[in-house]
Parts: sequence; structure tokens; C-alpha cells
Amino acid sequence: MRLAFILGEIGSGLRRNITMVVSVILVTFVSLTFVGAAGMLQLQINQMKGYWYDKVQVAIFLCSDGSTAAGCATGPVTPEQQENLKTLLASPAVAQYVNDFQFESKDEAYKHFKEQFSNSPIVDSVTPDQLPASFRINMKDPEKYQIISETFSSQPGVETVIDQRQLLERLFSAMNAASLVAVSIAGVMIVCAILLIATTIRLSAFSRRRETGIMRLVGASKIVIQLPFILEGVIAAVIGAALASGTLWAVAHFFLGEYLSKQYPDTAFISPGQTLILAPALLILGGSLAGISSLLTLRRYLKV
Amino acid sequence: MIRFENVTKVYNQTARPALDDVSLEIDRGEFAFLVGASGSGKSTFLRLVLKEDRASSGAVYVAGQNVAKISSWRVPRLRRGIGVVFQDFRLLPQKSVFANVAFAMQVIGKSRSVIRDTVPEVLKTVGLEGKENRLPHELSGGEQQRVAIARAVVNRPGILLADEPTGNLDPTTSMGIMGVLDKINQNGTTVVMATHDDDIVNEMRKRVVELKNGIVIRDEAKALYTSMIPVVGQSRRLKDASGRDEAQPPALEDRDPGTGEEQR
Repeated sequence: MRLAFILGEIGSGLRRNITMVVSVILVTFVSLTFVGAAGMLQLQINQMKGYWYDKVQVAIFLCSDGSTAAGCATGPVTPEQQENLKTLLASPAVAQYVNDFQFESKDEAYKHFKEQFSNSPIVDSVTPDQLPASFRINMKDPEKYQIISETFSSQPGVETVIDQRQLLERLFSAMNAASLVAVSIAGVMIVCAILLIATTIRLSAFSRRRETGIMRLVGASKIVIQLPFILEGVIAAVIGAALASGTLWAVAHFFLGEYLSKQYPDTAFISPGQTLILAPALLILGGSLAGISSLLTLRRYLKV
Repeated sequence: MIRFENVTKVYNQTARPALDDVSLEIDRGEFAFLVGASGSGKSTFLRLVLKEDRASSGAVYVAGQNVAKISSWRVPRLRRGIGVVFQDFRLLPQKSVFANVAFAMQVIGKSRSVIRDTVPEVLKTVGLEGKENRLPHELSGGEQQRVAIARAVVNRPGILLADEPTGNLDPTTSMGIMGVLDKINQNGTTVVMATHDDDIVNEMRKRVVELKNGIVIRDEAKALYTSMIPVVGQSRRLKDASGRDEAQPPALEDRDPGTGEEQR
């Protein structure tokens, strides 16, 4: 009976206050979408780390015609220099850090380049001569890059040593910055949502002050008087959180899954299923924010 | 049933107390009028019984319990034992007569079947049978007050507090309301009624407690609105009291429950 009564009170409260309730739903929706977007970026970073860190290599680029580096004073790399480098790579001092390595000739480099940029016009203007040959090294421990770099940078015939991981780090730090921005916006929006929930609950308590006054007088418990108001705020916020979760899922499914993954087939994007990990967190966050702000408002404006 | 022991209530430190060292006892099943001018402390008395306010000093006992010692989560239980009726009825305008009375039972968790049985019975007691489905604005003032009384007693409280229940009603209707209150009193409920209505007090011939400036100046059984006996013992204290500042506590009916911003 009491439960039915409380549910009825919630229903009438939501109906009477419909415009405010809609605005609470929208504000929590937007703020939690930003929170979720930050979460998705982090998931994506982890995903890409896992995917790329297995594949990235340290590349030793060899001198070619136009090279200006100090090691290239003798012109393009000679077969002896190339053989020396190969021996050095196989020597125990270096081999302990190396899983395996391959030589990539100019022609192979051109082939890979064509594959990677197949839909870009730049392919037509590049010839195999312009691309340097290289040794591709799979490290046992990618952190030991420095050792390879020190050993090979000064060798004759080596133009430069590049750690592909550093290129990725740059991408990841950009993504981290983006998720930080999303979190900051979310923070401002959450403050907005809390204030709006407080105002809504206050209005709701005011518009039902006759009822609550009588409830007090006939000895209704604090829970029966306050719970409808608190649940009103919580329900609105949870609806907003559900909308936010739905939006994130839709972004993962339609934008990442159907669009971006076709544009960049070698990139591992997060699956829509993974965004569902975020949904419970958003629901709990939205619900508890609303619950706490309603409770504090009621302590001030609805004495029992 | 209600006992005040040297109760003083000060709303504002600079003004005179709203109640000044009041001691009095109202027994179970009694019917007592609380009379006195506005600001004499009648409403403060009722508020202290309901634990809407705390006494500044002294102790208030309701049904044997010191209300100051009741923890806040048990205050609802105290209030379930007390029915309250106001001058302005305080009905819910969008609810029918039946729903208004049923509301008081719903919010304390009574089952639907109990409500269905009890409400018509109580409406009969107050003389409203056949009007269950009317809305408050379709009723006369006297009928609205009967609904309010029905709501106050539907949970069978031991005490009924009435704060000028006939203040908005004409003399004939008022007598009808008094009949209802008398009937409730005869069923064993203690009734305390604050009033200005001298006709009613003179007609009923019940106990009269007269307050002036927060002091009990008369407590007489089967009395009239104004006393014929000169008050001897209290006269000197009275002179002191009336010489002080005339600060008035807000009347009970002016306070809107629910908003409660600075009032509570």
C-alpha cells in the first residue's frame, strides 16, 4: 500500500513538473555523454596500445641518394655496410634484445607504401628510389629502444633509427588530451545538472507543500514524505544516463563500427559491446548525483 | 494526557516569552478550551504538544512521554497519536472527501481494505455520509471542517488539538462542529481547543484555561469565556508581564507546513 502510494506520488510529481523534469533529463544526458566519451577514448587508447605494441618495430633506415645525415657522408649505403649492419644485428651484444629482424629493400618499401596509401594520390608521385631501405627490428622489450638507437645511429650507412612506438605515443597523448577536455566539459555540465536537480526538487516540494504538511501532521514517516521527491530526481537522472549510454553505443556502432573501421581497416576500434561496460557506471553516477543533491535540497526545504 | 511543567518558550531573546512558566495538566478524556487574546500563547501551547517547537525550559509530557526526549525519527509516531484541526481546514482541493480522509491513512501505510472500512465509518461520525465523492469546493465551510475533523481522527488519535476550528464559520454551523467534537470527546479522545468564540465556550461549559501574555491566568472547570471570579494569586505577576514588550509569536494557522523555510 505504501509502495503504491509512493509510486503514485512520484507519478504525479513528474507530471506536474514535466518541463523541469525534461530539462534534468537533457542536462544529465549531455553531461554523462561527455563523461562516457572520455571513458570511450580511454578504452580506445588501451585497445590500440594492445594492438599496436605487438606490431611496432624499431626501423633502421639506410642511406639513400638524397641523405644528408652524418653517417651518409659516403653516399648511399654500400652492400658491405649493409652486410656489416646485418652482422652487428646478429651479434650476441644486440641479439639479446631482438626477437627477429627483416631487411626491407627499396622495392618492398615501395610496395608497402602503395598498400598503405592506396587511396591517396601521393602514390603516383613516389618512385622506389625515393624510399629508403631499412632493417625492421622486433624488440623483445620495446623499452630497450635506446640501446639499439645508440648502437646503430653512428654506424656508417645508417641514416636514422626510428622507434615507431614514439609516433604512437604522440597519437595517444593527443587522445588523452581530448579525453581530458571531455572530462572538463562533463565536470561543468555535472555542476549544472546538480543545481538544476536541486531547483527542480525545490519547486516540486513547494508545489506539494499542502500534501507534505498534512503528511507531517498525521505522522507519516520521513521516508514516506521524502522518498517520492528523491526518486523523482533519481528517475529523471537515470533516464538521462540511459540516453547517454544509448548514444555512446550508437557512436561505437554506427560511427566507429560502420564508418571509421571501413576508412581505416588496420586500426582496432572498440566494439559497441565494450561501451556497455560504461553504461552501469553512468547509470550509477547519474542516479547517485541526483539522489545526493535531492537529499541535500530536501533537508533545507522540506523539514519533517 | 498532556502535562506542562514550568514550560517557558522564548522565540526571540529580546521579546517577552510566548509562554512563561506554564504548568498545567489535561487528563485523558478531558475537553479543555484554551482562551485568550491573540498572542497570549495558545498556538505556542499547541505547537509544543506537537513537537513543532522545543520548549526553552521546562518539560512537556504527552501521553506520559517527555517530548524533548523523543528522537526525531520517532516524532511521526508521536504525531500519529495526535489529530489536528485548523481554522482554514487544509483540505487537498483536487481530492474527494473520501480521498482526503483516506490520505491520512495511506501515508502511514494502512492497507486498502482497512481504509475502505474505516473511512465511511468516520465520515458517518462527523455527519457526512453520502458525500464521499464530493470535492472540497462543492462543500460548505462547516462540511469542509467536518472533513478535516474526520481526517484528524481517522487514525484514532488519543488527543485532538483544534486551533480555532470555528473561526471561519457562522454561529449555527459552529455549534454543529462543536457537536462533532463533543461526540469525539465522548468516545474517549482528549480534546484541546483554542478559541476566541465566547458563545461556544459559554454554551459548552467545559474546562477553560485562559492565557494572557504567556501566563495561565485562569484554569476553571465548567467555566464561562470570561471569569466572574477576580483572579487574586496571579495579579502581581500579571502586572509585570503586561508591562513588557508585546511581541507575538506567529499564530499556528499562519504557518504553512511543507515550505518550512525559516519556521522550522
